[in-house]
Amino acid sequence: MTERIRQVISRNIWKENQVLRQILGICSALAVTNLMTNSLVMGVGLTFVTAFSSLTISLLRNLIPHRIRMIVQTLIIASYVIFVDIFIKANMPEISKSLGPYVALIITNCIIMGRAEAYAQKNPPIPSMLDGFFAGVGYTIVLLIIAFFREFLGFGTIFGYDISFASFELWTIMVMPPAAFFLIGTLIWITSNIFAPKNTKKSETGRKG
Amino acid sequence: MKGGPVYTVIFMLVISAVFTLVLSLANAYYLPQIEENELLDDRRAVLYVFELDAEGGPEEVLELFENAVVSEMLADMEIYAHLDEDEQVLAYAVPFTGAGLWGTMRGYLGITPELDRITGLVFTEHNETPGLGARIDEREYLEQFRGLEITGELAYGPAGDDRLDAITGATSTSKAVLRILNNLIDRKIAELEVVLDD
Repeated sequence: MTERIRQVISRNIWKENQVLRQILGICSALAVTNLMTNSLVMGVGLTFVTAFSSLTISLLRNLIPHRIRMIVQTLIIASYVIFVDIFIKANMPEISKSLGPYVALIITNCIIMGRAEAYAQKNPPIPSMLDGFFAGVGYTIVLLIIAFFREFLGFGTIFGYDISFASFELWTIMVMPPAAFFLIGTLIWITSNIFAPKNTKKSETGRKG
Repeated sequence: MKGGPVYTVIFMLVISAVFTLVLSLANAYYLPQIEENELLDDRRAVLYVFELDAEGGPEEVLELFENAVVSEMLADMEIYAHLDEDEQVLAYAVPFTGAGLWGTMRGYLGITPELDRITGLVFTEHNETPGLGARIDEREYLEQFRGLEITGELAYGPAGDDRLDAITGATSTSKAVLRILNNLIDRKIAELEVVLDD
């Protein structure tokens, strides 16, 4: 089980992208993507939590009794999330306000537990941390792509900066949740087409997360 | 040994203790900073309803607040009063609390000493949906309340007239805001009127 770092990166960011290929973390991808700043902070928060919880779980993997491993994983993940929440509150109060309850909801993001169960549980610490880190980066990239379209078309801004040369009627629907469904759906459709085997065009069975 | 009930219980206890301890330390370390942020936010909110400059740096905001605002206990509420140079009250900031769509909303309603006109509205705390209900924090929505005469119930009107506009896609939140404000005007402001008349 020696995966090169380049493989870890391409697997997590592209081939097995958590949002587009595994359909995990959809809830938060729908919720926070109407502003790029919020998406970035959410992505960075999730990347941090996934990386460090994977590291911690991997370090403890030979000590954690198998039967209670999920409780322990939840405990570890929750601790990191609470830390992120406190940190953002202290250092970025404005963003903390606009993200509202979503930071605390990182705890329930399937990606973190998914990486813990699928990878960190049976791999050494450093690869686990990298795996978690790049899974988070893959998630962040997807969030930023969606947020770019939603913020640009819905608010006429990018990262809060006014795009003065583009004067057009703003699409209110982009600000609202349905737009996230359309955009995620479109992205999943595109990536599924790229990965679909050439001759078998069967629809994939959906996995939920 | 590993996987036995005793090991399992001890492991859980130890790991819970360790993580809780680390979190408590982090919390204790950041608490002063968080409290300072909250105080500053509160000061900015009060200045905003008084139509004063709330956008300055921390020192400016605290200094302006110190010079222009006093806190008074009136009708069982801690109310902030905006004073001019001759100690005359220009406006009151009345705190309110009420149920929003997802959680408690808190904020201040600025009102003239005659209690007949709103000087400003601001929210200091709410859990409304980001991008939808949370847009009650946007200036475009809040500025509508500036200078609004209090004649009967506050209500939304059709777009384009001079009444208030609700937020598209956030009907429940918009309604909750007016319910809280009407409630505040009916009860607390009425009590305040009695106190001020005496």
